[in-house]
Amino acid sequence: MVAYLLRRVLLGLVTLVVITLMVYGLARSMPGNPLTVQLGESDPSRKLNPEDQQRMLEIYGLDKPWPVGYAQWISKVIQGDLGRSITRKQPVTQLIGERIGPTVLISGTALFLTWFLAIPLGLYASARGGRIDERFTGLVLYALYSFPTFVAALFLQIIFAVWLRDTRWELPLFGMSDLSSDAPFFARCADVAWHAILPITCQTYVVLAYNSRFIKANLEEVVRQDFIRTARAKGAGPWRVLVHHAFRNTLIPLVTLLGLSLPALVGGSVIIEQIFTWPGMGRLFFESIRERDYPTIMGLTLMFSVLTLAGQLLADLLYSIVDPRVNVE
Amino acid sequence: MSQEKIRVTEEIDAAKPSRGFWSDAWQRYRRRPIGMLALGFVLFLTIVALFAPAIAGTKPVICSYKGDLYFPCLGYFNRSWESPIFTKDKFRGTYPKNLKQKDPESWAVWPLVFQDPYRRVRENEWPGRRENPSRDEGHPNRLNLFGTDQYGVDIFAKMVHGTTIALLVGFVSMGLAGSIGVLVGALGGYFGGWVDMITSRLTEIVMCIPTLVLILALIAVVEKPTIWKTMAIIGATGWTGIARLTRAEFLRLRQTEFVMAARATGAGSLRIMFRHILPNALAPVLVPITFGIASAILIEGSLSFLGFGPPPPTASWGSVLNSARSNLQLWWLVVFPGVGIFLTVLAYNLVGEGLQEATDPRLREAKK
Repeated sequence: MVAYLLRRVLLGLVTLVVITLMVYGLARSMPGNPLTVQLGESDPSRKLNPEDQQRMLEIYGLDKPWPVGYAQWISKVIQGDLGRSITRKQPVTQLIGERIGPTVLISGTALFLTWFLAIPLGLYASARGGRIDERFTGLVLYALYSFPTFVAALFLQIIFAVWLRDTRWELPLFGMSDLSSDAPFFARCADVAWHAILPITCQTYVVLAYNSRFIKANLEEVVRQDFIRTARAKGAGPWRVLVHHAFRNTLIPLVTLLGLSLPALVGGSVIIEQIFTWPGMGRLFFESIRERDYPTIMGLTLMFSVLTLAGQLLADLLYSIVDPRVNVE
Repeated sequence: MSQEKIRVTEEIDAAKPSRGFWSDAWQRYRRRPIGMLALGFVLFLTIVALFAPAIAGTKPVICSYKGDLYFPCLGYFNRSWESPIFTKDKFRGTYPKNLKQKDPESWAVWPLVFQDPYRRVRENEWPGRRENPSRDEGHPNRLNLFGTDQYGVDIFAKMVHGTTIALLVGFVSMGLAGSIGVLVGALGGYFGGWVDMITSRLTEIVMCIPTLVLILALIAVVEKPTIWKTMAIIGATGWTGIARLTRAEFLRLRQTEFVMAARATGAGSLRIMFRHILPNALAPVLVPITFGIASAILIEGSLSFLGFGPPPPTASWGSVLNSARSNLQLWWLVVFPGVGIFLTVLAYNLVGEGLQEATDPRLREAKK
C-alpha cells in the first residue's frame, strides 16, 4: 500500500513538472507581457517608456529567457511560495483564497444537487426501462445533455431578468451581491443565494443529465448478469434487486466519475462565471490569461493539475473500498 | 433425395450472402427512428452548408455579364473565386443595379433570400425594397426571417453561412484530433513498452490541463486567430479520449491470431497497424469521433461567445450569440443561433449514440 502510494505520488510529481513546464512556456510565448497588455490597452498614453519597462521586467524576473523564469518559479514553489500577481499586486495564494469561496458555493451546490438527483433518476430509468414515461424523461435528459450551457444561460437570463422583470420571479442578471458589506449578515446570505440560483441551475443540469444516463447505462450492464437472475429467483423484490444487488455493483464507475469531478469543484466553470460575472476561479483564470499574469496562471494551473491527479488517485483508492476484490497493489 | 437436399442448401447459400460488418451495422442503425431523424438532420445541414451562398446572399448564383457566364456567389467561400472583372468594373459588392446599368443585356439567377451575412442591405439595393432595420428594431419579419442585429445585418443569412463554419469546424478539427489520437493510441497500444509509457504520459498530461484553458492560452499564442487556426487548436487539444480508446483496442487486437498470421507472412509493423488492426478497431474509434464533432462545434461556439473566436467578418453562430450578450432585449439574437447550435450538437450526439448501439456487440445482445 505504502509502496503503491509512493509510486503514484512520484509519477504524479513528474507529470506535474511537465505540465507546469508546458504551461509556463506557453504563457511566456503569448505576445506581450503583463506590463504592456495591462497599461497599453486601457490608455495608450500611459504606456511605459522602454527604460522603465526594462526596469520593471527585471524586478519581476521577466527579462531572462523563460526556462530560467520557470526554474525560479518552481524553486519558489518548492519552498511553498506561489509568488505575487503582477497585475493585481497581491500574493497568488491570497487571490486564490478570495476566489475559491464563490466558486465552491456554485460548484459544490451543483455537485451535491447533481448526485442527489442523478442516482434516483438513474434507478428510476433503469426500473422503468423502455416504458413510455421512461423514454420521455430519457429524451428530455438527452436533450438537456446536448444543450450548450452558454445558450441555456442566455435563455435563463432573458426569461428571468428581462421578461420577468419587475415581477416576483425576477432574478438578477449577474454579479454575486447587490448589498454593501455593512448590510446584516443574513440579508447578505439571502442576497448571494438569490444571485446564485441561475449559475447553479446552469452548472447542474448538464452534469445531471450526463450522470443519470451514465448510471442507467451501468445498471443495464449489471442487470443482465447471472447473479441478478439468482437474486430474482430466490424471491428478492424488484427494488431490493435494483438497489441492493445491482446498484452496489455499479459503484466503481461512479467513483471514477466522482474523482474526475474533483478539479471542477474548485476550478469552476470559465463560461458560467464569465456570463454571470461571478467572482470565482474560472473567471480568475480567464482574466489572468488575458492580462498575461504569469504567476496567477501558474498558480491556478498547479492547483488544477494537483487536484486532477489527486482525484484520479482518490478514485483508485476508493475502488478497493467499494469493491473489496480490487487490490490497489 | 440427397442430391435434392444439396441443391436446396446451395440455393440458400446463393440467395443469402452473409452481410459484412458495416452493412450489418447499417441494418441495425436503420431500425432506430430517432437515429435516422438525426442523420437526416445532419444531411440537411450539410446541404445548407454546401449551398449557403445560393440560399442567402447578395451575389448572383450565376449571371451573364458582357457575354460571359460568372458565378459571383462563390466569393462567399473564397474572396478570390469571385471574378476580378467585378472589382475592375467597380461593382463594390452590390450587384442588382450595377448589372443592369453596366450591361443591359445581362441576366442573373439570385439566391433564394436576398440578404448578406456580412453587411446591412441598403434601401433600394434590391429594387423597391426597404433598408434592413438596425438597433433594436430588427424583429423577425417577412424580409428578415430571423430578424436583424444591432447593425442591421440579417440573422438568417448569418445562420445559413454559419452552418458552413460549424460543419467545417466539426469535420476539420475532429479530422485532426482523430488522426493524432489514432496515431498516438496505435503507437502506444501496438508497441507497448517505453513507447506506450511515453504516449500514455503525454495523453495524461494533456488531459490534466482544462481544455478550455489550454485552448484560450493557445489562441493567445497564435495572435491573430482565423477560423482555420481555431480549428487546428480545437483539434490539437481534443484527441486524448480517442487516443485512449485506440490504445485499448490495439492492446486487445495485437494478441489475436490474424495479427500473428499477418506477421508470419512478413508484413511490417506499419502495415499490420494500419491495414490489419485499424479496420477492426475502427467502429469503437468512430463513436468518440462523432461525439467529438458535437463537442468541437460546442467549443467553437463557446470561444466565439467569449469573444475569442475568429475575427468579426466570420459569421459563426457563437459570434451572433456574443453580440446578443450586450443586448438581451433582442431575443431573436439568442433564440435562433442557440437553437441552431443545440439541434446540431443533439443530432451529432444522437448519430454517435446510434452508431455505438449498432456496432457494439455487447449493447447488441442487450437489445435482444
